Amino acid sequence: MTAAAITRTRAFPTLVGVLALVAAIALIEVLIRLGAINRFIVPLPSQIALSFERVIVEEGIPERFWLTLREAFWATMLLTVFGVGIGVLLHRIKTLRLATETWVAAFASAPTVLMYPLFLVIFGRSANTIIMMGFVAGLAPVILKTVEGLAGTRRVLIDVGRSFKLTPWQLYWKILFPAALPSIFVGIKLGMIFALINIVGVEFLINFGGLGQLINELAERYDLAGTYAAICFVVLVSVLFFMFTERVERWLRPVN
Amino acid sequence: MAQTGQLTQAPAALPGLSRVTLLRIAIVLTILVVWEATAASGLLFRDVVPSLVVIVRALWNLLFEPDFYWHLGVTAGEVGTALLIGGLAGLAVGIALGANRFLSQAFEHFLYYLGPTPKIIFFPVMIMWFGVGSGSKVAMGTISCFFPIALSVAAGMRQIDQVLIRVGRSFRANTWQMVTKVYLPAMRAPIINGVRLGLGVAIIGTLLAETKLSNRGVGFLIINSYSTFNMPRMYSLLIVVFVLAIGANAVVSRLGNLEAIKTR
Amino acid sequence: MPAATQLKRGKDGSAQAQPADAILVVANITKRFETPDGVLTALDNVSLTVAPGEFLGVIGPSGCGKSTLFNVIGGLVDGYDGRVTVAGETVAGPHPSIGMVFQEESTFPWRTVIDNVAFPLEIAGLSKAERYDKARHFVHLVGLDGFERRYPAELSGGMRQRVSMARTLASEPKILLMDEPFAALDEQTRLLLGDKVLQIQQELKQTTLLITHNITEAVQLSDRILVMTYRPGKTKRIVDIDLPRPRTSEIVSSEAFGRYVAQIWNDLREEASRGLIDDEARKLHSGDKD
Repeated sequence: MTAAAITRTRAFPTLVGVLALVAAIALIEVLIRLGAINRFIVPLPSQIALSFERVIVEEGIPERFWLTLREAFWATMLLTVFGVGIGVLLHRIKTLRLATETWVAAFASAPTVLMYPLFLVIFGRSANTIIMMGFVAGLAPVILKTVEGLAGTRRVLIDVGRSFKLTPWQLYWKILFPAALPSIFVGIKLGMIFALINIVGVEFLINFGGLGQLINELAERYDLAGTYAAICFVVLVSVLFFMFTERVERWLRPVN
Repeated sequence: MAQTGQLTQAPAALPGLSRVTLLRIAIVLTILVVWEATAASGLLFRDVVPSLVVIVRALWNLLFEPDFYWHLGVTAGEVGTALLIGGLAGLAVGIALGANRFLSQAFEHFLYYLGPTPKIIFFPVMIMWFGVGSGSKVAMGTISCFFPIALSVAAGMRQIDQVLIRVGRSFRANTWQMVTKVYLPAMRAPIINGVRLGLGVAIIGTLLAETKLSNRGVGFLIINSYSTFNMPRMYSLLIVVFVLAIGANAVVSRLGNLEAIKTR
Repeated sequence: MPAATQLKRGKDGSAQAQPADAILVVANITKRFETPDGVLTALDNVSLTVAPGEFLGVIGPSGCGKSTLFNVIGGLVDGYDGRVTVAGETVAGPHPSIGMVFQEESTFPWRTVIDNVAFPLEIAGLSKAERYDKARHFVHLVGLDGFERRYPAELSGGMRQRVSMARTLASEPKILLMDEPFAALDEQTRLLLGDKVLQIQQELKQTTLLITHNITEAVQLSDRILVMTYRPGKTKRIVDIDLPRPRTSEIVSSEAFGRYVAQIWNDLREEASRGLIDDEARKLHSGDKD
């Protein structure tokens, strides 16, 4: 391929982006070695890379990862059951929906994570606090998307159901729910993302749990390279998780 | 037509109040009653669910406490500064990414995937870089709001009606004129939406940082009331923060809706 | 062939107008595009000239490269062979002497009518008073007095196109370049707006180049019409429109008008059907690819 043709491929810009990142990291390494950047504030990237192995092995990353994952799992379970349940309820009872929809939307924009000291009092310094904080953070989008999905079912599909004299229960199970499923999954995806963000954040804040707690602990130990490594690791996990949810969503989309 | 309206409308129990309003009042009253009952029964650890009277009194005291407003000012200043820095940076980066396809394909993924990560975990690094004072809190707020604003602006740039850009170019507007007279006005709705999201996460980022390590600000007050186990005070602080956050969000939302109506 | 029509062909075979003092000279424009399906030749050695005060209509089937020609003359596109000169100066980018009116909705929705019209004056750096003075004159010219403070969303489609036109006229270009400005409007509105355009053009003695696919419109407004072939776009024929001036939309009912329309349609039909066949073939082929 000619040089010009290469620049036109889809992969080229992405490659440039990645190379730019690598170049930036290399630049930082050089600047620190030259003393332009204080190495007690920003550790050498090479040192951070080396710390990865140490952190993974010594700090029990697999167990921590598993713990955070379990918390996320339970939060997601709660989200699905209560979020979808409340969403269905609101859709079923029109007056209730009209009364509370703005409240739910307001709740979605509220800084719920700031309630963590309150939850600490209620649930103590335990996994329950973390799970509940994740649940509360992700609840609103699940409810809103469930209602949106159910309400957005095309009129004609409902009419088909009514023409076959389906009971309300059957109507829900056989028509409304399947039609709303893509929207519900989007809501659960959003809920999971918000939940995970808050779970890791609260783990950090209350110094309990898995990955988030690790960062806090390493920071308090003044393990500079270790802290940076742990942060990188958590960011990586978060990015992979997000990518995963995107894949699942795209996989479900063609059904629509 | 008015008569049909009257026929289909369900009779309201009280004149002037719709069913929705009645239901809302009923829900609120139920919650308050259940709360008070729980407080009185002593089912939960007493202070976790204090009586409404106690909460209201604490709220009242809080609102008349001059110190509180000083802390509120500190937090507001930090959030404002964070929004300013993060907003301008987000705007600049967003415009660059939205205008240039190559830059977008090379770098926008980073922003997109870095966005939904818990920014609070960067706090130890912020402390190292900016100290234990307001600097690290502003930094937290800034990195929190930078991402949603940059992504909103980039998406907004791409949604601009292309013909408007051609109009600007056909009249030979220079770059500054294009940005101020064509790009920015055309993007007012997505910009405001980005700012709304940014405001929300800036508030969260700044306040969380204050709860973690600070001796000033509303976040500090909240964690302080936790360590002194002053639950009524914590509740009042949370109420104030929630009302302000939701209120700010509603105001910016309203602004956004107005702009969306004016634009096509 | 009706006597009133004259064919003009230059020595090199390209269709030319004679006036040596042409204000717009488009010389041998060839424009090719790279597409996933290969190289597409949009324009193939197209040349034309426009005399000062003349109204030239350019008509062709969809896909004949009209819009490409519009963008080339307007300086919004480069990478072509050939040259465009305005009053002797070569066009390399949007030229101050050329004003463009686009096909799509192009009013700025966040600006009032008067602010829209004043836009080019704002870019040029005129003072506020000067801007509004001039803008008001052009708002009046297009017949939108009283609507200065309204927003485009409050106006009809035809009114919005008038605002776009006023905005371009406000920059007082030597040449007004319009790309199917009335495409989105209904027939009656088009005829009435055509009247307005005639009126304005006569008052300002504005040199105009109108690109359209509507034969009635072209004949109604133009002094000469250039008929283009289907892709690759070449000049097929130049027709002199010897209808009296000043004109109004009443001209559409005259016999001479009908003859011009018939003759041009004769040329166009051949090109248009080539376009249709090509289109259908492509749709069929793309179905196979999936």
